[in-house]
Amino acid sequence: MESRLSSLSLSESTHQSPQNSGVKSSPSSVSVSRLWRPAAQRNMKNQWSRLNSLRHEWISSSSTARSHATSLVNAYLSQRHFRKHLLSNFAVNKNALNSSVNFIYLRLFSATASELVLHQDELISSYKDMVTTVVNMVNTSASMRCFLKGATNSPFIQFSSTSEDTNDNGDGGGIPVFTFYPISTFEKLAWEMVEMFKLELYLKRLLVIEFLSLRSKEDPINKRLCWSDEIYEGEFGNLSRCNLDHREAPESTFVQPNFQPDSDILQVYLTAWLTDVNIDKLRVDDIFSEVGEDMHVNYV
Amino acid sequence: MEATVKKFQQKFKRVKDDMDKWDDLHARLVSQFRNASSIIGRLQLLESPKNYGSLKNLDNIKNTIFTKQMESLQKILLSMTKTLEELNGVVFSLAKTVRDAKQQVKGGSVQLSMKQLHQRIGVKPSIADCLEGLRILHEMYQSEYVLKSSVTSALVSLALKPSVGDLQSLERLLVDQPNIPNEEVQSIYDVIFAEEMC
Repeated sequence: MESRLSSLSLSESTHQSPQNSGVKSSPSSVSVSRLWRPAAQRNMKNQWSRLNSLRHEWISSSSTARSHATSLVNAYLSQRHFRKHLLSNFAVNKNALNSSVNFIYLRLFSATASELVLHQDELISSYKDMVTTVVNMVNTSASMRCFLKGATNSPFIQFSSTSEDTNDNGDGGGIPVFTFYPISTFEKLAWEMVEMFKLELYLKRLLVIEFLSLRSKEDPINKRLCWSDEIYEGEFGNLSRCNLDHREAPESTFVQPNFQPDSDILQVYLTAWLTDVNIDKLRVDDIFSEVGEDMHVNYV
Repeated sequence: MEATVKKFQQKFKRVKDDMDKWDDLHARLVSQFRNASSIIGRLQLLESPKNYGSLKNLDNIKNTIFTKQMESLQKILLSMTKTLEELNGVVFSLAKTVRDAKQQVKGGSVQLSMKQLHQRIGVKPSIADCLEGLRILHEMYQSEYVLKSSVTSALVSLALKPSVGDLQSLERLLVDQPNIPNEEVQSIYDVIFAEEMC
């Protein structure tokens, strides 16, 4: 309580509180700190409203991806069903009909095969959107600090989001930005949330690989997509920007390549996609209402 | 006499509003039911580890998915209860209309004779027609409400031991609204507003 009170009284106390005495070079004079707060507040509000729209973006691209995955699964299952049906119906006089059946089947096969490819492309493109959203989340939560630009003694004080002075850590000496929370608390909350989305992206990637691996027995391409393959060009660059290492393949995850999972497994995959296993929605809402309360903004 | 009939026709217009409100709530209940039913249908799949394919070695995945689905199911069931409450509100409002109407006939300054009650002027309905129409409408919606609440409780018990056939027949029952035959509702309105159709 003591330290909270002293940090409330802003810069006058900065030289008293022990944890701040080491970073004296952060905007320490009263006037700089008085100017720092509005700049930091403006930045903070921007970053959080950005995070807020990013989480909605995630929801929408995740559900678009899910509907593409569903169409993909349906196309795959109906193709398989049709094949089984056709073969069993004509099994009796196989020889007589073989050539015409083959003809029909090949026609239909190429039609559904191109349908599969279409849905795969759509799935890849919405997965790409999801990666981009998470990259933006990571960047946004790393841009919460507000640094002094130019010399402290200059009469014209400016602030920026990048550090020019190694002594300035951009947190205004740990003073509250709005009501109670210093920069570090905002950052901690943002990271907590972004971490959930990163984990979920990891799981979604696994599922995307499974969906993209669906193909019929006749498909000449026998190579199955693996965890270490790049799903779209530039994916690895994006993933490393969110500190997700694609090489850290959970090898145990891949028991055996399964080219033809049955419909039950596929339904569980789609359910797994839907449930956002790693995202605790209540906690995310809590974080936004907590942050919103501190800066008197209502995120709904 | 004519004035009373006119007042009653006004009541039927208000009842129409109630019925429209009911239709919206009914549509909402059906979509909630479908969501709940598709989760319940999946629960069995989610219980068997062999259905997890490549996911099976991820820590705790089965429990998490299962718990999350149960949470969503619970949320949907709660909102179904809320929808049911609102449907009950519509039934209450219909009951009040019937009560008021009866009150109006009985408690009016002039006591109407049997003959007056059943008297029809031109194509206009008799007062008895109006009373009977309101009573029947209320009765239909009342019984349909009872059916809907039992379908909802049946759904809850199915969550414990799901069967696809049962889920489908419950859905049929919910969608069909057997206690509210459209033609009958329409014929009541045809009698009350006969003059408007001429």
